[in-house]
Amino acid sequence: MSRRRVVITGMGTVNPLGHDVASTWAGVLGSKSGISVNELFDASTFPSTFAAQVKDFELADHIDNPSEHRHAGRHCGFALGAAREAWEQSGLDRCDWLDRRRLGIYLGSGEGSLDFDNFTSLMIDAWENGRVNTGRWAELALKRMDLHREVEQESNMVVAHLARQYGVRGPAFNVLTACAASTQAMGESTWQIRRGDADVMISGGAHSMIHPYGVTGFNRLTAISVRNDQVETASRPFDMTRDGFVLGEGASVLILEEFEHAKSRGAPIFAEILGYGASADAFRITDQDPQGDGAAAAMRGALADAGVAAHQIHYISAHGTGTRQNDEVETKAVKAVFGEYAYKIPISSTKSMLGHLIAAAGATELITCILALRDQILPPTTNYNTPDPNCDLDYVPNEPRKASLEVVMSNSFGFGGQNNSLIITKPPQ
Amino acid sequence: MPKARVAITGIGVVSPAALGAEDFWDAIATGKKCVRRITLFDACNFPSRIAGELPDFSARQFVPKTYRKSVKVMARDIEIAAAAAELGVRDAGLLTRSSQGETTTYDPKRLGCNIGAGLISTDLDELGSAVNTAVTDGKFDFKLWGESGMNNLTPLWLLKYLPNMLACHITIIHGAQGPSNTITCGSASGVLSVFEASRLVADGGADAVIAGGAESKLNPMGLIRQQLLGRLCTSRNDSPADAARPFDAEHDGTVVGEGGGILIIEDLEKAQSREARIYAELVGFGAACDPGGMDVTHPTAGSLDLAVERAVAEAGITPDQLGLIVAQGSGVAAEDLAEQAAWKSALGEAAATVPAVAITGAIGSIFAGAGGLALATAALALQNQTVPPTVNYARPDGEESLNLNAEARKHQIPYAVVGGFSIAGQSGACVLKRYEP
Repeated sequence: MSRRRVVITGMGTVNPLGHDVASTWAGVLGSKSGISVNELFDASTFPSTFAAQVKDFELADHIDNPSEHRHAGRHCGFALGAAREAWEQSGLDRCDWLDRRRLGIYLGSGEGSLDFDNFTSLMIDAWENGRVNTGRWAELALKRMDLHREVEQESNMVVAHLARQYGVRGPAFNVLTACAASTQAMGESTWQIRRGDADVMISGGAHSMIHPYGVTGFNRLTAISVRNDQVETASRPFDMTRDGFVLGEGASVLILEEFEHAKSRGAPIFAEILGYGASADAFRITDQDPQGDGAAAAMRGALADAGVAAHQIHYISAHGTGTRQNDEVETKAVKAVFGEYAYKIPISSTKSMLGHLIAAAGATELITCILALRDQILPPTTNYNTPDPNCDLDYVPNEPRKASLEVVMSNSFGFGGQNNSLIITKPPQ
Repeated sequence: MPKARVAITGIGVVSPAALGAEDFWDAIATGKKCVRRITLFDACNFPSRIAGELPDFSARQFVPKTYRKSVKVMARDIEIAAAAAELGVRDAGLLTRSSQGETTTYDPKRLGCNIGAGLISTDLDELGSAVNTAVTDGKFDFKLWGESGMNNLTPLWLLKYLPNMLACHITIIHGAQGPSNTITCGSASGVLSVFEASRLVADGGADAVIAGGAESKLNPMGLIRQQLLGRLCTSRNDSPADAARPFDAEHDGTVVGEGGGILIIEDLEKAQSREARIYAELVGFGAACDPGGMDVTHPTAGSLDLAVERAVAEAGITPDQLGLIVAQGSGVAAEDLAEQAAWKSALGEAAATVPAVAITGAIGSIFAGAGGLALATAALALQNQTVPPTVNYARPDGEESLNLNAEARKHQIPYAVVGGFSIAGQSGACVLKRYEP
């Protein structure tokens, strides 16, 4: 029996460049920046005063029943918006024979935003002799804390909201492997469909860590850019002057579907997922394996799963965070996998424009790969001006470029060493 | 390509009942009651002040000496996971980086990791001591925080609380370079992690996977969230050992616990060729979702019936061939009723006749750690051909009750089924088969 093929029949996104796929793609091809001064809270004295924020998002503009989801956290609202676009595009809203028990969901969603004011004021008001008096804390917390604000922080709540919206009764998973989560979710969704656990999967991811303790955490790790005087151009993957990633937020949702299922209902098909690879660095929680073995293993795994040779890859959407370490390690890993051919593959990081959407990054970047295949054009790495001798590949600097594309790869590497790669191709003829 | 057969070859348990598979089984099979007053922090003003708390636990003795300093960047959930994984690896007789020998049983790239995790709670004293340096007129001062307050946090602070760190520390300790995942689906996490691990091995993507889950709700944030949900038992603070009463007519809420169950999921043929002990074969899985789960104030069982139906069908058996049901049994009346209805819907008459157990009566509800512990219970029950007791179970609630008993029962168990679900609507089920060489 030949294996079940998995295609993408819908996509939707809400991110710092736009609230749908078309405006996002226009932003990417226009080399726009989604980065600006942080307006979500007063970060004026933080080491990083800026972020890639979703602006002017109103859930009511995207779904007809916003009140049903009124408790949804910020990132969950983005996911509901992205899912609606994907679902409608796929035509599943008009499919009257869809078996909901064969409809699954597998997201890479982050935790919901903290109820910052209550959480913080409790630590202040219950502070006694150098520690929290938990008796006092409990007394106040029971009065002040809000059930829904607390529950919506659980990272499986986005799955729950989307499952409600689309009547999902099949397998339901959420993965949270940091920056790799939504790539892993799409890879595992592919395998769920291939193995016959489901026919259709709602996949992708959602995240917002642009809250005071999220920015604090990344600032303490010195992982994010502090280029406060040039915020729009602060995200500089592979450039010599890069000084960290730019924290972003958003959600992207893709509909993954078994090929025959999609054909039988005349669904639009945007791409086929050929292969998925996953690995662990097993090195250190603070650093990537400097040799890039883990990253290379994920790419090799995806190639083997796809059954394509390295030289058949025409483009790589890099993890490309803009940290000193990632970009150098990723470059090394690409060379290890592709050999001399590495110098001929265009590689770019749309994080230069979108910022780093953490759990939602991989799904958003896969959408740019699908559009690159459709339009036969490479998204650029913007803000690339000063080459780094340790990053000496073709990063598609600053402007999009026409290209002939058949098969492309997308990489995501999570903090802590969980690595994932996906390979997609044009829709089957 | 034919699928590989998959087995459980190692059981790593950190639980309020005991550490390690053997002692865990002794405690569970004899009905040891492990719920007591919380001592980890002063819980006097919490409406529910009892829990399945680990006795004197630290991961230090379970991680290699060279890795001990990393324990200080582990939240308690991570410490539990690291210890349970080490116990599981040792129990399976697997040589990994942790054994520090010349060789490892498997190529590191063929050893995977898949760990269920919860929302890890911040240590309030740690964050509070930084926050309270940035207070002006009794209020948090963002400017002061940015200028200096945040510098009172250790640089690696964030890494203590990322849920994927359970898996990441384990991969580092054991040198597991194969696929690594972190599932965050509440109490369904452990079963879903093992589901995915087993599929990976069956497809030839790994020789073995370290899989399961761990969590601790024994901290103010973890406890208060369950309290706000109205799920906790608040009526038995003075008789903690009797408080967790899964499926009993007098069930009156959940008692939280902490712990982890981490299993070694291995290619059966490879396990046989290295003459490993085989606890059980994994022969059927199912996962499902209840779209009603979004409203967490209206309990459902996450379409557990559908997950169980699928698992049983994949195992190629009929429900009457089962010899054991390992149920979740949160002890919240409405959830228990929804759960027993789901078992009835999936298994029909067999739901009332096949012996069943819920270990929550003994140790409390352990969320992301629950599935691994339930699977460990099932595997050990298959080995011992014994149905463990359901602690505090006396009388059924309603017409659809499971066949539970407060005493251990010798019973022929050819197959066992384990089910778990989150309050947000995700569920998973697994059928285990007795291994006969």
